[in-house]
Amino acid sequence: MSAELKELEGILNVTLPEKLIEDIVKVEEGHFNVHSTVKNAYELMKILHEEAGVYHLSTISGIEKEKEFNICYHLQHRIEEEFREIPINFFVTKVDKGNPKTPSMIDFFVSADYYEREIYDFFGIYFESHPFLQRLILPERWPDDVRPLRKEYGWEQIKEITLDIAKKALEED
Amino acid sequence: MTGEFRSRFRTLTDGSDAPPDADHHIFIGPQHPWAEEPAHFIIHVKGERVVEADIRIGFNLRGIEKAMENKTWRQNTMLVPRACGICSAVHQNIYVRVVDRLAGVEDQISERARLIRMFSLEAERVHSHILWYGILAHDAGFDTMLHISWRDREIIMDIVEDFSGNRVNPALMLPGGVKRDIPKEKADKARPMLDELEKKVLYHKKVFTEEASIRNRLEDVGVLTKDDAKKTTPNGPTGRGSGLPFDIRKSYPYELYDKIDWNLVYYTEGDILATTMVRIDETLESIQMCKQILDRLESTQGELLARVKPRIPEGSYMSRAEAPRGEDIHFGIANGTDTPERYKIRAPSLGNIDATLKRMDGEYIADMPVILRSYDPCFSCTNRVMIINEKTGEKMILNQDDFARKAIKAKKYNRSFF
Amino acid sequence: MKKVLVMGGEALKNQAKGPVTKHVLKRIGDHPPPEDIRTIPRIIEDRCIMCGTCVNVCPTHCIEIEKDDKDNGMIWLQRAQCMWCGHCQTYCPKDAIHIDREPALSNSLFSFNNRQDYEMICAKGSFKGEKADKKLAELIDEGGKKLKYLEEFRG
Repeated sequence: MSAELKELEGILNVTLPEKLIEDIVKVEEGHFNVHSTVKNAYELMKILHEEAGVYHLSTISGIEKEKEFNICYHLQHRIEEEFREIPINFFVTKVDKGNPKTPSMIDFFVSADYYEREIYDFFGIYFESHPFLQRLILPERWPDDVRPLRKEYGWEQIKEITLDIAKKALEED
Repeated sequence: MTGEFRSRFRTLTDGSDAPPDADHHIFIGPQHPWAEEPAHFIIHVKGERVVEADIRIGFNLRGIEKAMENKTWRQNTMLVPRACGICSAVHQNIYVRVVDRLAGVEDQISERARLIRMFSLEAERVHSHILWYGILAHDAGFDTMLHISWRDREIIMDIVEDFSGNRVNPALMLPGGVKRDIPKEKADKARPMLDELEKKVLYHKKVFTEEASIRNRLEDVGVLTKDDAKKTTPNGPTGRGSGLPFDIRKSYPYELYDKIDWNLVYYTEGDILATTMVRIDETLESIQMCKQILDRLESTQGELLARVKPRIPEGSYMSRAEAPRGEDIHFGIANGTDTPERYKIRAPSLGNIDATLKRMDGEYIADMPVILRSYDPCFSCTNRVMIINEKTGEKMILNQDDFARKAIKAKKYNRSFF
Repeated sequence: MKKVLVMGGEALKNQAKGPVTKHVLKRIGDHPPPEDIRTIPRIIEDRCIMCGTCVNVCPTHCIEIEKDDKDNGMIWLQRAQCMWCGHCQTYCPKDAIHIDREPALSNSLFSFNNRQDYEMICAKGSFKGEKADKKLAELIDEGGKKLKYLEEFRG
């Protein structure tokens, strides 16, 4: 880990406190995975955004694991003089499965709004201090407690729910 | 940051939570003659000027990500290009690169296969850009340009059809290589056609730079400064029009883009004309690249398809590509079986919405169609994620045309649609 | 730099030409569909070993198979559901599948006739002949029933 950390620090030109980082993996040349826990994620992102100047957030993806949720912020560190980008996958690990809560990164990235609401829709993960955590993509009639991308909902089940919604919509008309 | 972008967090769409200085509220969509695809825009205006704008999406949910978790990696190769109607090859390209990497066959892919993949991508960029600036001219009220550009677009469509057997969905790529070869006779047939197309596009460029009636509609309209662009993080031509010189083909090269001569196009003005010029110049650049690729294909030999086993070993990989509309990003996680554990797709249009809303501030209502068109909205890929509303979806399609009716017919037998 | 009537020449030229649509019928003859157009799959019966690979790789589940323990069996295709991707051809271990290049097929696909929806593309051994015909009739019958149900559901 320490070799990768040094390399990333060299590229970003900042010092990243080791206690905030769980793990760093070098995927390929100039492409890193940074793992951090829920507690430390906000602080680490603050350093990345404000000191290292990472301003581009490509997207956020939610990942369901056996005992926890992971959230992955796909960041790009842009070096304008060299026309170069360093992709950094910023994993927020150890999101509790029973009561999924994680800090919102909307303070640093405007575009985090849509992506976080998308994760909220599909996984039911609450982003603390997000000012407007509301439904973005799911239809209006979709039941509130069904989080379709979680593994507990199979394809057939989702189809049934969809058909039910359609039937209800027809009856209302 | 949230204070600056207040428009994002308005609760009501009936205007009751509107900004205090706005006196009228205009609602565009979800069904509107301006837009081919469903999105709901709320524009708060004071007099003729826009105070704030907002968007609601989610009218066209198809459930591709969930469907992909229920299909094998091999089947998904043909599902992924359906994420978008126009830029299908780019989605397939990222997908096959993710699978190549996870399966560990990256080194076995021959140069010839990579060149054919690149040809498919560049041809797609050409036809997508020509389509876009045709519609832009139509939105600006300059229909002659629409007809002429779409007439000339047929040249590249013919080439794609000749090479792949399909017009807009070439589907040439497979994990491990490509499906079809480009033989020498076909390449020879395509070369004069590309020359002709280049002349036509140069003429289009002349029209966009010289003709007063189109220039007046586009120049100094919807200016997005570089600072705003850094905050709202637009990607692709929208960002390159505002002076952010990032093209993934250059900034993080994939396939063989680092081994081919081409120039990065970017403008710093930030208005709609700049994004238009970025796209026209890129079209010319892509045609030039297509020719180069055809030349290189003659001297390159190699196996077209490397064998990829149906079971993909555990791992995860994030991959990106420069789609005609911007940055397209896929994130795949494999769990050792033949189906993906999770597959995330982010299509470029969603990333450009913020910047477009920012462009609207303080502009005239009459410029709205042009500004809304500027980021090349493609909601079939923006809302790609969830579930098809079988009932209402079918009803809507029924009214359209024969081709849509075919889709319903496939559903008649109660088989899974995906 | 700004000028007016940059496209004047083009406009005049098109004005003199008259409507383009009157040439359309002639043009279709000039512009035949490409030789390599993809349509539905065909199976060469002698080569087929009834392994079922094509059924497994098909993204739309339009190919189905019924077989006994030996190499005998039948494979049928739901034509309307096939999206002409050619996956079955790519992954066939014996090169038994080729993709048809008959562009006129596209017309028949839109015909809304259930009889044309199902096609027995391969039948081998004891499945040949009567058994295959019977299955096909069954499928068409079943398709008709489902169609009726869906129309009722739609109202």
